[in-house]
Amino acid sequence: MNDPAPSPAKTLQRLYLTLFLRGRSSRGLNRSEVPASIGRKLLGTLAIYVLVGMVAFTYTKAPSFVLSFYLHGMSLFFLGMFIAASAGEILFNKEEAEILLHRPVDSRTLLWSKVAVMVRISLWLALAFNIGGFIVGSFGPNGSLLFAPVHLLSTCMGALFCSGSVVLLYQICLRWFGRERLDNIMTTTQVILMVAMVVGSQLGQFVIPALGSIGSPAGKWWLFLLPPAWFAGLNEVLTGRAEISSYFHAGIGIGVTALVAFLAFKVMADTYEEGLQTLAETRPRKVRDRSRRGLIDKLMDLPPLSWLLRNPVTRASFRLSSAYLLRDRDMKLRLYPGLAPIMVMPLVFLIQGISGKGSEIGVAFSGGYLGLLPFMAMNLLQYSQNWQAADLYRLAPVPGPAPFIRGATWAVCTLLVMPTLLVLVIAVGFLSKKPEHAFLLLPGLIALPVYALIPGAIEKAVPLSKPTEEAKSAMRGAVIFILMISALALPGIGMAVRSQGFYWQFLLLEGIFAAAACLALNGVISRKTWDPIE
Amino acid sequence: MISLHSLTKRFGSQTAVDSLTLEIPAGQIVGLLGPNGAGKSTTLKMLTGMLAPSSGTATICGHDLLEDPIGVKRNVGFVPDSGAVFESLSGLEYLEMIAALYGIPATAARERIQQFIAFFDLSFETLTDKLLGAYSKGMRRKVVITAALLHNPPVVFFDEPLDGLDANAAVGFKALIQTLAREGKAIVYSSHILDVVERVCDRVIIIDQGKVRVDGAPAALVAEHGAHTLEQLFTSLTGGNDLERKAEDFAKTFRP
Repeated sequence: MNDPAPSPAKTLQRLYLTLFLRGRSSRGLNRSEVPASIGRKLLGTLAIYVLVGMVAFTYTKAPSFVLSFYLHGMSLFFLGMFIAASAGEILFNKEEAEILLHRPVDSRTLLWSKVAVMVRISLWLALAFNIGGFIVGSFGPNGSLLFAPVHLLSTCMGALFCSGSVVLLYQICLRWFGRERLDNIMTTTQVILMVAMVVGSQLGQFVIPALGSIGSPAGKWWLFLLPPAWFAGLNEVLTGRAEISSYFHAGIGIGVTALVAFLAFKVMADTYEEGLQTLAETRPRKVRDRSRRGLIDKLMDLPPLSWLLRNPVTRASFRLSSAYLLRDRDMKLRLYPGLAPIMVMPLVFLIQGISGKGSEIGVAFSGGYLGLLPFMAMNLLQYSQNWQAADLYRLAPVPGPAPFIRGATWAVCTLLVMPTLLVLVIAVGFLSKKPEHAFLLLPGLIALPVYALIPGAIEKAVPLSKPTEEAKSAMRGAVIFILMISALALPGIGMAVRSQGFYWQFLLLEGIFAAAACLALNGVISRKTWDPIE
Repeated sequence: MISLHSLTKRFGSQTAVDSLTLEIPAGQIVGLLGPNGAGKSTTLKMLTGMLAPSSGTATICGHDLLEDPIGVKRNVGFVPDSGAVFESLSGLEYLEMIAALYGIPATAARERIQQFIAFFDLSFETLTDKLLGAYSKGMRRKVVITAALLHNPPVVFFDEPLDGLDANAAVGFKALIQTLAREGKAIVYSSHILDVVERVCDRVIIIDQGKVRVDGAPAALVAEHGAHTLEQLFTSLTGGNDLERKAEDFAKTFRP
């Protein structure tokens, strides 16, 4: 009969796990409906991780250090991506401050509960990815039965290192920068983390073959700089196959992880509440950045935008979308980390292509990838934590969402696509031995307007009109995956016909198809009507 | 029960709350009034530990805000004006979570929640099956008020508590806080609905630009300043003169 008093730490951990699995906001009516989609998505994600992890079987004959390096490298990449993407929302959530800051919970318990959930989910992902590695490391020709428990331990340390580093980075930002700059700094930090992960994973493609050809970590000083080598060294030491250098790697891994964990979860934990308090401040803030707003106004008055935005509703939608793309913290935290890989991968393709044999393929693929940018951006721009405010659109005497969609599309193209395209063209000009390679971007660029219109035509991507939870639907992920494949297929076909001497004819044909598709999609958007308000 | 000692909050060069010194005894309902941006919500947020004061301090039930914030939080219930909740929890999950944070055992928490459900005329099925994101504004407000009172705190802060409540719920709520005050709780009630404050509160504090302008019993204050109503007193103190003429002039701009 005597119930024990509940532990705040366990209560908070259960809360954060539930919030992760269900999402933080929901328009679902019944409790039974909402968790299922995200829970299923997590299961699907774990299944994909298991499948991707089976690549470890290609390392069956590799030395044990190389296998461990590969597994830790990929684990840290996936964990880093996940933690960097979710840390902003989990660690510093303004709404949460209103709910929890006046409850009797100390800041350390609050922080540790969040970190415990992040580490737990990270470990689920890491373990799913490492299943193949466990089998190869335990039963392969260079395997050891000790590998599985040892690798499990070092993976846990890797997860701790990863989450500790991200938490520490956020805490440092909070301490060093004022409230006014905090939002921008946090967003920038998160984007930089995501970009670093993408670039890091590409670097791994060069490092692992280099290791494999030599087979031993001895004498490679640069390995001391790479976290996967630290944890691989720990594997070597604990399975009793260590060279001298592995002891150093393991020592650095243990030392750095302990230091990061101590700083992030102990030293900085005491000031965590201060960070949440600064988020709770409703201080008068600069409502607008005059120079930036001036820039948007000037852009809108320049041709061709002045003509494209001649409809006042389209013009207002352009302004609204631009403001959210440039100023809204929640939008930036969702949009830019989501777009970072899409924006960076073209450059990675380009650099890889130019440094290797496939210079032309690299340029062509980078153009194809760029085509996806407006599609992804339009997709993400339709979600907002204040989605109910979009009911305002329906109250206006506008028969359908078309002008809102068009304004958002032009905002995405102007503020995201054009600058990225400019960087890409300059990069091709500087990096490629043949500047005429810039023409290879064309198959992707011709398809770009079609991709930009698809979200509006198919999903009715009205800006800021849907709750953020819907962004997590598994179906949406599948559509994006299919489009990514097609975005790479188009330049591939272009390269194939180019080798046959029909490149310009191919471009002409693609242009005709793209123009027809744009007309058709535009028509679909124009005929869209409002859904009834739920 | 509540003592503020030169409590101050500055945001950069702007002083939102300027050296507030007050005593609020047990059993009193204090109406905290002021125009938008006067510093009401900032004061409440400081007293509930959501904001750190720039200088000064406060004690609540003998616990110092700076030295023992957890002690203060245990003794305080707070209904923020935002009405923020975790939308993807059901009402029951949310309330059980809040109860657990105050160390209330599960069985006791469930019994207490049942009592609130009965008082607020909520349906248990709705509380169990619907996620908070799907609640009406009034239902959500009832859940937030329940979450503030579940642990039976001796001090309660309400920031626009009637926002969204229907007439019956509002009447019940006003009767509830008057009874709670009679039983010894100190209640601070911040609102813009002046006639409710006039009827419910024993004492009214009007603040403007972070400073106390007047402090006393509503009837005494109205009489002392030669006003007819609390509303008239409020507008005269906070620069709201000539509002009716301004409204008439502005309404003329709507003429076709």
